[in-house]
Amino acid sequence: MKKALAMMLALVMVLALVACGGGNSEGGNSSSASGATLTIFNSKMEIQSQMEEMAAQYSQEKGVPVEVYYSSDTVAAHMATKYASNDPYVLAMVDAKDVYSLGAEHAVDLSGEKWVGDTTQAISVDGKVLGFPVCVEARGLLYNGDAIKAATGKDFDPSTIKTTADLQALINEIAAGGMALPVGLQKEDWSLGAHYFAEIYELHDDPDAFIAGIKDGSIKLADDKVFNAMMDTFDVLKEYNYAKEAPTSAEREVTEMKLAEGDLCFKFGGNWDWSNMVDTDYTENLGMMPVPSDLDGYNTKLVGGGSKYFYIDNGVSEELQQAAKDFLNWLVYEADGQDFLVNKCSLVPAFSNITLSVSDPLGASVKSYADKGALVGNYNYLPDDHYAKVGASFQKYLAGETDRAGFAQEVTEYWATAEVGAH
Amino acid sequence: MKQNTLSYKIKQYLMFAGPGTILFFCVVIVPFIYGVYLTFTSWDGVSAKKPWVGLANYAAAFADKDYWAALGRTAIYSIFAVVLINILAFFLAYLVTSGVKGQNFFRSGFFVPNLIGGIVLGYVWKFVFNRAFVALASAIAGGTAPSLLSTPNGAMCALIIVSVWQYAGYMMLIYVAGFMSVSEDVKEASSIDGCTASQTMWNVTVPLMRASFVQCLFLSITRCFVVYDVNLSLTKGEPFGSSVMAAMHVYNQAFTYKNYGLGQAEALILFVVCAVVGVTQVMIGKKGEVEA
Repeated sequence: MKKALAMMLALVMVLALVACGGGNSEGGNSSSASGATLTIFNSKMEIQSQMEEMAAQYSQEKGVPVEVYYSSDTVAAHMATKYASNDPYVLAMVDAKDVYSLGAEHAVDLSGEKWVGDTTQAISVDGKVLGFPVCVEARGLLYNGDAIKAATGKDFDPSTIKTTADLQALINEIAAGGMALPVGLQKEDWSLGAHYFAEIYELHDDPDAFIAGIKDGSIKLADDKVFNAMMDTFDVLKEYNYAKEAPTSAEREVTEMKLAEGDLCFKFGGNWDWSNMVDTDYTENLGMMPVPSDLDGYNTKLVGGGSKYFYIDNGVSEELQQAAKDFLNWLVYEADGQDFLVNKCSLVPAFSNITLSVSDPLGASVKSYADKGALVGNYNYLPDDHYAKVGASFQKYLAGETDRAGFAQEVTEYWATAEVGAH
Repeated sequence: MKQNTLSYKIKQYLMFAGPGTILFFCVVIVPFIYGVYLTFTSWDGVSAKKPWVGLANYAAAFADKDYWAALGRTAIYSIFAVVLINILAFFLAYLVTSGVKGQNFFRSGFFVPNLIGGIVLGYVWKFVFNRAFVALASAIAGGTAPSLLSTPNGAMCALIIVSVWQYAGYMMLIYVAGFMSVSEDVKEASSIDGCTASQTMWNVTVPLMRASFVQCLFLSITRCFVVYDVNLSLTKGEPFGSSVMAAMHVYNQAFTYKNYGLGQAEALILFVVCAVVGVTQVMIGKKGEVEA
């Protein structure tokens, strides 16, 4: 009896082992199957559902299985975990700075591709084109022309507002017209640190020299002309922030909705804000203008350029690399691909051969500035912790926990140890 | 067959504990050792090169002011959270074992928060703090009331409240088991000897439940020290980095700021702190345990 029981037990164990083994070999199969799948990492949350639909359609039409993944982690962090687990994506959509930091080691040289000739925004490292620009994005002051008109009684022409004083005067007029607090400001560290504060570097003729100056002490940030001009404007925006009682609890989606529906007149942001505004009950005359400031020559330009880049991982098979290249060409040269970029995702294309008109008003503003050549380029070499550290200091300023001198001091202290990325 | 030879013992061990040992070795010990190795490199988390830098990461970790601030914050958070979790859990356990109507329903009700993942829970509470409470306070007081999450102390309070809500139900179950394990005989004996209900509670029941206390304290301390999910989804370290807990700082250091070696070194220090606190607490707790 006992013996039989032992036999039974042994059998069960063997079976369990076999089952495990079976599972393993199955695992092996599935991983080799995913080896033939074009895996795409998408880091633009707002187009994830469009990407998934596109993947299904593209797989069906081209016979190449495509899978799209999204992560809410910061891009650099997510890529780091993927590389740490040795499981890279074939095609990854990353920020420009990631192309510089990852590209040299991991990206396929795309210099020979046809689209390189049709864009000015591709990223090259050491003379090799590594990054495919997904779209053009720019930062500036979003406005709601209808709300402004309702308050002032006049049609709004953004080109009349250039300086901080112009903005102040207009806001006074709006306030007199019944909207006392017409501005929305985001509290997110990326909006403050990576978008607003970054303009202070970008609006210098030579950002590298400016940062080097802060580092070696030859430039006092608190006395810097651009810093003070941008902070003067920020003070005006902050003063008329609808959430000024509790600026650090303002929620992005709420602010965007208020702007779109005409409960606010201005918000600092970029054309990506449209993705949250498109589902609202938005009014007609929305647009984007440069952040007004006393910086002649710069207060008529948006800040931006190529945003989000695809690169192809060089660790995957030749066949997959080719599939990824085909996919990029599909985006640029085939009607379906162009339609996907411009109409489905409402992105501003970075390629001159794409002539589809941009449907969203913010994107249309960006395109009009880009077509005029009125874009100040992004500075893509800020350190990875810049947005978090400087953003945190900026949040303190926004919440009134520190003054301008204290803020400048904290940023200077940050730069004492931080280093810009290689470029 | 002889049962006291070495080979017999090894065979027995391998047969019963072998699979577990191998798994434990593969998924805990090996990564741990590899992690320790990484603390001696300046790896950025992505590169193929892992340059050896000796003890530089430990020096940097000890010099990293933000890290020690985060660790101090974690300690304060843990003290408040652990005390409140255990008081509440004990109280709840007392209630649901005292024979109230529908006590099984209450038991599962209090346990439910623990079944919701920390991330989801954080987002739910974020909504409650940012929208529901704000709307309520604004309606009562007028104007726009600031959210609890918008001030540094408020954010810490919010974290503590949510953690207590999450873990109290789980710890309650352990206390419930503790209450049930105290036999009726001793309680009856004490009441015959003239104890009041509260005297029975403090002098008979609680000392006999000591094992439950040791266990609950250990679990809540170690969980609070490495809190990450609620921290991420509820406050994300905001406002201005004032609610970044140790685990979040380690994650940011390793993955966001791409100082993998340094982050790993800081994680190791966090592990040591956790281990020392946890083991000390268990040792003190075990010493006075009463066997009934």
